[in-house]
Amino acid sequence: MLILKTLARGGQQHGYEIANSIQQISREILEVEEGSLYPALQRMLIKGWATAEWGVTKGNRRARYYRLTRAGRKRLESELDQFRRVSRAIFRVIESS
Amino acid sequence: MMWLGEIWRRLQFMTRRREFERDLQEELRLHLDLRAEDSPGDDAHFAAKRRFGNSTQVKETSREMWNLGTTFGTLLQDAKHAVRSFSKSRGFSAIAVLTLALGIGSSTAVFSLIDVILLKPLPYPEPEKIVLPWRTPPAGMTLGFDELPWDRVAFLEFARTSKTFQHTAAFLTQSFNLTGVGAPVRLAGMQVSAAFFPALGVSPVLGRFFTAEEDQPGREHEVILSHAVWLERFGGDPKILGRALELNGAPYVVTGVMPPGFAFPRAHEMPGSFSFPRETQLWVPIALSRGPLNRGEPSELAVIGRLNPDADLAQAQADLDAFEKRWEQERPGAKGWIHARARALSRQVAGDTRRPLLLILGAVAVVLLIACCNVANLLLARSLKRKREFVLRAALGAGSSRLIRQLLTESLVLALAGGAVGVFVAQSAIYFVKMFGPPNIPRLHEVALDPRVLVFAAAVTLVTGILFGIVPSIGARRADLADSLKEGARGSSGRGALRSAILVTEVALALVLVIAAGLLIRSFFHLLSADAGFNSARVLTFELTLPATKYARQEQIVALYRTALERLRAAPGVQSTGITEILPVDGAGESTVMRIPDRPVTNPRDRPIVSYTIVSPGYLSAIGTPILRGRDFLESDQADSQPVAIVNIAMAKKIWPGQDPIGKAAGVPIRKYDMTIVGVAADVKHLSLHEEAGPEIYVVYTQDPWPSMLTMQVALRTTADLNTAIAYARDAVRSIDPDLPLANVRMLAELVSDSMTQPRFSMLLVALFGAFAMVLASVGMYGVISYSVAQRTQEIGIRMALGAGRPDVFRMILGQGARLAGVGIAIGIVVALLVTRAMTAFLYGVRPADPMTFGAVSVLLIGVAMAACYVPARRAMRLNPTIALRYE
Repeated sequence: MLILKTLARGGQQHGYEIANSIQQISREILEVEEGSLYPALQRMLIKGWATAEWGVTKGNRRARYYRLTRAGRKRLESELDQFRRVSRAIFRVIESS
Repeated sequence: MMWLGEIWRRLQFMTRRREFERDLQEELRLHLDLRAEDSPGDDAHFAAKRRFGNSTQVKETSREMWNLGTTFGTLLQDAKHAVRSFSKSRGFSAIAVLTLALGIGSSTAVFSLIDVILLKPLPYPEPEKIVLPWRTPPAGMTLGFDELPWDRVAFLEFARTSKTFQHTAAFLTQSFNLTGVGAPVRLAGMQVSAAFFPALGVSPVLGRFFTAEEDQPGREHEVILSHAVWLERFGGDPKILGRALELNGAPYVVTGVMPPGFAFPRAHEMPGSFSFPRETQLWVPIALSRGPLNRGEPSELAVIGRLNPDADLAQAQADLDAFEKRWEQERPGAKGWIHARARALSRQVAGDTRRPLLLILGAVAVVLLIACCNVANLLLARSLKRKREFVLRAALGAGSSRLIRQLLTESLVLALAGGAVGVFVAQSAIYFVKMFGPPNIPRLHEVALDPRVLVFAAAVTLVTGILFGIVPSIGARRADLADSLKEGARGSSGRGALRSAILVTEVALALVLVIAAGLLIRSFFHLLSADAGFNSARVLTFELTLPATKYARQEQIVALYRTALERLRAAPGVQSTGITEILPVDGAGESTVMRIPDRPVTNPRDRPIVSYTIVSPGYLSAIGTPILRGRDFLESDQADSQPVAIVNIAMAKKIWPGQDPIGKAAGVPIRKYDMTIVGVAADVKHLSLHEEAGPEIYVVYTQDPWPSMLTMQVALRTTADLNTAIAYARDAVRSIDPDLPLANVRMLAELVSDSMTQPRFSMLLVALFGAFAMVLASVGMYGVISYSVAQRTQEIGIRMALGAGRPDVFRMILGQGARLAGVGIAIGIVVALLVTRAMTAFLYGVRPADPMTFGAVSVLLIGVAMAACYVPARRAMRLNPTIALRYE
């Protein structure tokens, strides 16, 4: 979901950029191994949520850029929905006790 | 459609594996490089790597993502899980697998029969082009059979003018005594037109067919042997072609040997009203003469044809109809008699087995359904026990589709195990049918567990797996988290209802099947005890075939039989003996139109048709047919005395209703004189015990010799033991003519038993399936009731604590079972009333709604259900209230 969100905001990004933006936005709270990003990206390619294209970075290096497809956007919507519902429920449970 | 795209992308990946590896490699390196550049310090690279994690593993998991296997991977995981959990509960799995194996195995075995008999093409090229045009009786006339032979002239005319047939051939049974090669032996032969083999499309393995030139009167001296005769009689001699043989005393030359397995026509693949041999052993030219029909020439030809490549059955029928019109315009007297119906050979061969097979298929389908119900119920009980597991898994995030998938996978695993065992069940069932089944199942030698049958077994396995898997899955879907948690461990009453519904279905299905079996059993015993008009005990029968060359004159034939009968009568132990053209239950004999002087008809078509059987004095008493009025034939009834005849009751009733037929006159059109009726005999059944005997007239062989008398059946009622009687009969015949073999030596009881093989086979199979159904239903009953006892343990404890006695508890549980069984039986009776109506054709002396069968089967099923409830009910009764109350 995080990757979907990042891509949705940032448009076209390569792996390193995605990892960085997730870290920055979450203010370094979510610290996962950066490597685990890549299998997740592959999964998105398989599901058709994203497409990838080779391009050139600002530093003139070859990098693979990922871009969200329409299916990916839809998926993001539904995941966000789901997340909001669950978190609201959790919040309510915690508040009430 | 999402998954389609997914599969497409995965497939694409497979072709670009190397490219993928390179891309991933480069992507990861870039990541590490960039991270290292962004981070300060000497060990930047190391830090980057640490932050990145295990890059080998990253690559590995990325790769695995793409593998097509992963979707199936979860499937495999589910399957493994299923196998593990099934192997933990052995009893459950064993019962489920065995139940399924019985269901799948028996339906596979039945399918293997149906496949060969009804579905697989015949072993001839383009078999759909082979057609048998049978003449049919004129409208409104019932003879007990629908296939009549052609006469020679009509056949030749049709063959000449037909536009739809490529080859048209006539064939006619004739027995041959083969002499000069070892002991004299009688072979089942067929006189056939030259077009016979081309019509079937079969070539000899050795030699050639006879040509149209050889199929001419006076030139017909070629013989083609069956493979079996060639091997047995001639030791497979490769130089057999051109060898001279003596058949019925005439010289023949061997021109060909047919391929193994070819024995067309076989009796059980052809209409029963024609007396074709069990297997044809040799073929000779029929050599039909071209001239006009002789007076009294019998219609006796069977016809087979191969259609033109562009013609079909409907066109063949139109062709026959057009022929009928032309023929009737030219010969108005033949009106109504020339109608013929074209029947595909495949349809003919499947013949009478079609309906019994469909009946058996229905029975086996019911067994399979019950097996499914049973396993569904078992799985349901199990899924209730596993509720906690599912609740836990759902809580851990398993979606309901994931859970359903797992349940379906489990049921498929069970079905596969059942299917695998079922294949062995099918294999042994086929073996038993081949060993002990009726010998007259068409094409039985072709039946085997071939790939087609295995595909069927696999399909049945999958369908059953899904069928019985769906029910518990629906249960699982309904088991949503909140409800389960609320209900706690008490279990849902809703699914108890589902289980009861399944059980009621099972009981109803079992009842229908057992009622069907009961009806078949009752009608079978009705058949056995039915009055067939003869008494088969201690009657020896055999066939004599006189060679036409040696017995050319009718006086010679009559003299031979008279001497033979004299010698046989003198044998020790012989009570009576006689000859006949046709034995009881051995097929239809000759029929003829009768002239009745005191009942003149204006239209010749209204003249009655009756069976016309030539017998000798003593024959009727030899087969135990009582003469109810008048007398039997006597030795004094000779060619020069008053012609006499005996009629059966059916004929007396039909022609002289309410009158005494004795002394009345009757004649056949081709004979000028009338015969005087001197006796009335009981009705003898000719085709099978199943049908009512038609009108029949007996005449005595000394007064009316026909050419057909060259082959006669001898019946011998004797008190001597079988072997002595046979030996004596053989000696008696040899002492008159050493070249005459005794053929078809059988007891009359064997003929009766042979005629019963089909009803017996259907009855046994349906009864067997009925027994399966009952066992399965009682297992199901046991399962449901013992589960409910376990579930109601606490309730029972409370009842006992409140003062319910043990017998009360026992009665309560039995009552629960009885209610379920009662509902099932009530539904079953309604269904059975509808279903058994379709069985009328299989029944004899029993109505489809026979109250006795319905009643007895219902009581039986209640009894079985109560027996199945007995153990759980006792268990409930023995419960210790204090423990039961605490039971969770």
